[in-house]
Amino acid sequence: MKPMLSTELNTPEVAVDKAKIEVKNLNFYYGQSKALKDISLSLPERSVTAFIGPSGCGKSTLLRVFNRIYELYPKQSADGQVLLDGQNILDRSQDLNLLRTKIGMVFQKPTPFPMSIYENIAFGVRLYEKISKSEMDGRVEQALKRAALWTEVKDKLNASGLSLSGGQQQRLCIARTVAVKPEVILLDEPASALDPLSTAKIEELIDELQADYTIVIVTHNMQQAARVSRQTAFMYLGELVEFDKTEKIFTSPREKRTQDYITGRFG
Amino acid sequence: MSTAASLHQSRKRKNGVMMTLCVVAAGIGLAWLALILGALLYKGLSGVSLAVFTEMTPPPGDAGGLLNAIYGSVVMTIIAVIVGTPIGVLAGTYMAEYGRFSKLTTIVRFINDILLSAPSIIIGLFVYELMVRPMGHFSAIAGAVALAILVIPVVVRTTEDMLNLVPNALREAGTAIGAPRWVVIKSVAYRAALSGIVTGILLAIARISGETAPLLFTALNNQFWSSNLNAPMASLPVTIFQFALSPYEEWQQLAWTGALIITLTVLGLSIFARSLTGRREDR
Repeated sequence: MKPMLSTELNTPEVAVDKAKIEVKNLNFYYGQSKALKDISLSLPERSVTAFIGPSGCGKSTLLRVFNRIYELYPKQSADGQVLLDGQNILDRSQDLNLLRTKIGMVFQKPTPFPMSIYENIAFGVRLYEKISKSEMDGRVEQALKRAALWTEVKDKLNASGLSLSGGQQQRLCIARTVAVKPEVILLDEPASALDPLSTAKIEELIDELQADYTIVIVTHNMQQAARVSRQTAFMYLGELVEFDKTEKIFTSPREKRTQDYITGRFG
Repeated sequence: MSTAASLHQSRKRKNGVMMTLCVVAAGIGLAWLALILGALLYKGLSGVSLAVFTEMTPPPGDAGGLLNAIYGSVVMTIIAVIVGTPIGVLAGTYMAEYGRFSKLTTIVRFINDILLSAPSIIIGLFVYELMVRPMGHFSAIAGAVALAILVIPVVVRTTEDMLNLVPNALREAGTAIGAPRWVVIKSVAYRAALSGIVTGILLAIARISGETAPLLFTALNNQFWSSNLNAPMASLPVTIFQFALSPYEEWQQLAWTGALIITLTVLGLSIFARSLTGRREDR
């Protein structure tokens, strides 16, 4: 039907990869004010996508649409389409809890639950799976290994999650998210409250995780976006200004606003 | 130079005056407390004996104890807490979790605050009309209901406040992992606010254990041992009220002892509540 071999060859990698999440004409409102304006983009599977932009540009808001967590607050609403594997998750019939088991989220500030390290991870697993104690032990170990935390906590699984350091808490949150076997992981400035060493560990982790998960990361730190992501979206005042391969965004952006931002002229 | 120095001097003087006033005010407050506790200990302690906890309230001029009154107080307090706590905790949960943004919450909070400061005698009269008159007699259960009505607003208030202190980030984290709302509340929010909520319940117990007015209209009193909830029941505050006003020395002595028991119980509860919140802040 479409014998256009030449264009296919020229299409950037972004478009060739299978899209995991496709956003179409998304608008978002905080009460009356419009925070996202007609956003369309598609996020490739098993790859890291970064959202960058100055404070208030809507990057976190966009992330929070993907698991519809904004619905905890009554005055926030979205219209348009967000397709996860072709299914519109903004549909009223979408089961929110099931959606959130498929799309995990890690927040800016580490948020361990007020329970033991073991329970922090078992909690999410237990919600949707009935498994034996030994299977659960395996799942907890596997998740902690995945989050590069196992060696540090294997001897104190019954200690409170709150007793860990900030960086460890954040990795515990990643372990907790990974344990429920999501398909997508949303990271909302996951390293901004951490010291450089913990940040490096988290970034390493993100790099490993993209083999199995589609990852979206919101970050204030442009070097971080450049280091960890394959494609980057630059947002400004609720608009998606430019979305391309990370390399392209940081070396030869199309838009002047992108250029100005990444060279530090504003933001 | 000299003006700066004199300014400094006058500021120091003012500071000294204010500081003295504050210390004196604090001292006066503490002095009354010390006097009350001292008098209670002095007059009450001498009457403490095994008989107080094993014998019934005596007829005038006879020796006896406070067993039936202590029992009545404990029973009615327990029933009041069992009835009042779930209602209070659930209402507080609605206000802080489900109805955080709803108008109903604002209204309920306002009404609850009024209830919180309502004179307890009015609660007593209310239950008198509601239960005692239709039933035709005073009863322990009516007393317990009156106390429960006093428990509810305290528990509502503390539950709401404590749940509001739980950071939203924690709720979002629970939600983000796929937990339904009720699981987030039960396993995350309650757990984070537990010591605060328990403290509220303890404070509610402390508050009702000294209430006399609502019991006068409801449980009345009983000279004898009674475990029948459908009959008048003795309680420490009402017994103290009756005995302290009497001309009989033995009764007056028992009133002092009863007052000491209540005070020490409330003191113990407050210290326990304090230690719970203290531990929470350490974390």
